[in-house]
Amino acid sequence: MIKQVENPILEIHDLTVSYEQSPVLWNVDLSLPAAKLIGILGPNGAGKSTLIKAIMGLVDHSSGYVKIFDKNLNEVRSRISYVPQRESVDWNFPTSVLDVVTMGTYGKLGIFKRPGKKEKTIALESLEKVGMSAFAKRQISELSGGQQQRVFIARALAQEADLYLMDEPFAGVDMATENAIFELLQNMAKAGKSVIVVHHDIHSAMKYFDWMIMLNLHLVASGPKDEVVTEDLLRKTYGGKLNLLTQVNEIIRQKDFNPLKN
Amino acid sequence: MDHFLYFFTFQDSSIAFIVIGITLLGIGSAYVGTFSFLDKKALLGDAISHAVLPGICLGFLLAGEKNPIYIVGGAFVSGAIATFLSSWLKENTKLSEDTIIASILSIFFGFGIVLLTVIQKTGNPEMAGLNQFIFGNAIGILEEDLWIYGGLAVLIILTLTIFMKEFSLLVFNAEFGKAIGYPMKSIRLLFNVLMILSVIIGIQAIGVVLMAALLITPGAAARFWTDKLSVLLVLAGIFAVISGIAGTYISYVIPQMPTGPWVVVSLSLLALISFLFAPKRGMVYRYFARKNYLRKTQNEHILKSIFKATEEGKSGLTIEEIYQLYPEQKKQSLKSIKNLNKDHYLIVNQNFISLTNSGLTEAKRVVRLHRLWESYLNEYMNIAPDHVHESAEKLEHLLTPELEALLESRLNYPKLDPHQENIPRDHD
Repeated sequence: MIKQVENPILEIHDLTVSYEQSPVLWNVDLSLPAAKLIGILGPNGAGKSTLIKAIMGLVDHSSGYVKIFDKNLNEVRSRISYVPQRESVDWNFPTSVLDVVTMGTYGKLGIFKRPGKKEKTIALESLEKVGMSAFAKRQISELSGGQQQRVFIARALAQEADLYLMDEPFAGVDMATENAIFELLQNMAKAGKSVIVVHHDIHSAMKYFDWMIMLNLHLVASGPKDEVVTEDLLRKTYGGKLNLLTQVNEIIRQKDFNPLKN
Repeated sequence: MDHFLYFFTFQDSSIAFIVIGITLLGIGSAYVGTFSFLDKKALLGDAISHAVLPGICLGFLLAGEKNPIYIVGGAFVSGAIATFLSSWLKENTKLSEDTIIASILSIFFGFGIVLLTVIQKTGNPEMAGLNQFIFGNAIGILEEDLWIYGGLAVLIILTLTIFMKEFSLLVFNAEFGKAIGYPMKSIRLLFNVLMILSVIIGIQAIGVVLMAALLITPGAAARFWTDKLSVLLVLAGIFAVISGIAGTYISYVIPQMPTGPWVVVSLSLLALISFLFAPKRGMVYRYFARKNYLRKTQNEHILKSIFKATEEGKSGLTIEEIYQLYPEQKKQSLKSIKNLNKDHYLIVNQNFISLTNSGLTEAKRVVRLHRLWESYLNEYMNIAPDHVHESAEKLEHLLTPELEALLESRLNYPKLDPHQENIPRDHD
């Protein structure tokens, strides 16, 4: 069940991604509507983060292309915001919450220039939106997991983008924070922003997302929540990895070179 | 003392020159080094500093004399090759990073020593100074060389200051930088160039072998004192400058004494002081913090035991009874009783000990936390009543008033704990 849309905000065409020796995403082909809260679901190792990184150009494609707002990534980069996984950075880095959030303004600011009053105001407003104003001056090493996540989301808000890509923003976050962030994201979608979130909990996914992408090394489904969350598709997504596909991956890995890459 | 005055009053302009040079060199290398320390690339600095030796020798062979341009150029080229090789090998082989760094370091350095020996065999009279590049000699630096090293140091400091935002991004979250369209590969390249240059500015004063210490140790030592990047950079610079000047002074006072080892000795001393005495992260602070905590634990145990005695209808306990409760800790118990008495928590009458009003409040608080935690474990985490005591015994000293309030409201202000004991409150 893969539903394609007219005038998509994001179009992924026949995308295959390989890491080192083995493919992680096979021929993903989908298009997404604007102003929706979209979830990417799938088991561990299904390629959820890889899909987001491929959209952001952080990993190379073996084949296929991605179009955002019907353009290439580099033409619209300033309209896209990316939230990496919380664990991907060293939170002992000696810097303050405000400084991290200000990084969100770097894209528009450009290289060389230093952030000034305007950037600081944007950063403070973004912190306000995630309820972290009181922490602006704190060192990031003093934050709890949930607070770190809020800081990363505030940094994304400071980018003032139209499309948001978030990699596991709810990992290690307590219930109250999760609900608060979900409400914030829903409001953003209502205001016309598109938000794509990698997520693993099917219960809260059912509650909040408008549209879902279900992955398990290949695209299982993409469509409105009510149409894709069926017993059959859930089993295809979470019912273990496809045995045959895993074996093919294993053969490619043992070959020591990946024929899918170039 | 005469030496000291002569050196530090800068009557000799060449000494003043050298001190300025060492200061710039210290700031430059500490600045770059702090970033690479935060980037967890400290070993790369070590590899580069060893890898510049063959370049220095080749530069010397090409020029036929100790020409600083040739030597700096040669050092840069071999440093760059080593840096490039280490990242190329990491991407294209399955070798681990430590293997790659260790091999590059020893291969390049070995090759450098071979070249050095070859040069010595040629009997070139100029080669006498070449040995200085291994352990460094700040006093022997000529004025025209100083201009080159000092100029490079200023260049490094300026570049780092201009690109501070980009380098912080590189170290903290390079992937994010790439996502917002920054040329992270070029920024990494520029940083590597600065790293090689920062090794090169020290080759004559500190020597190739020990330059890695001047790169990494100042940042590592300064990290004990602060959580702010700006303070960290300034402090690292100060540490590097102090030890640079100390090393130079010693090699000035004692003839034939190389500078590098003394710089490293003074740096290690600063690092040791930081490691021991820095607030919060230092060993001494942590030792006392731990000791305070243990003392608090003991005090609270004494209060608790007396409170439990009052629950059984007694008005207090004798010292012997307390000793019997904690037979292993007689000395500590006696000390706790004395302290608690001084703080007006206890009344000590001959050998009989009872609680004052404030002591009662405090004892109730500890017992309350203990029993609330037991109730929480039992009710919310399904742990059997006979398994909850151990954990509560530890957490009663840790739980904050905020957590206490949370526990009370979650459990709905319970009257009894899982052992059917009363949970004491102030208004009882």
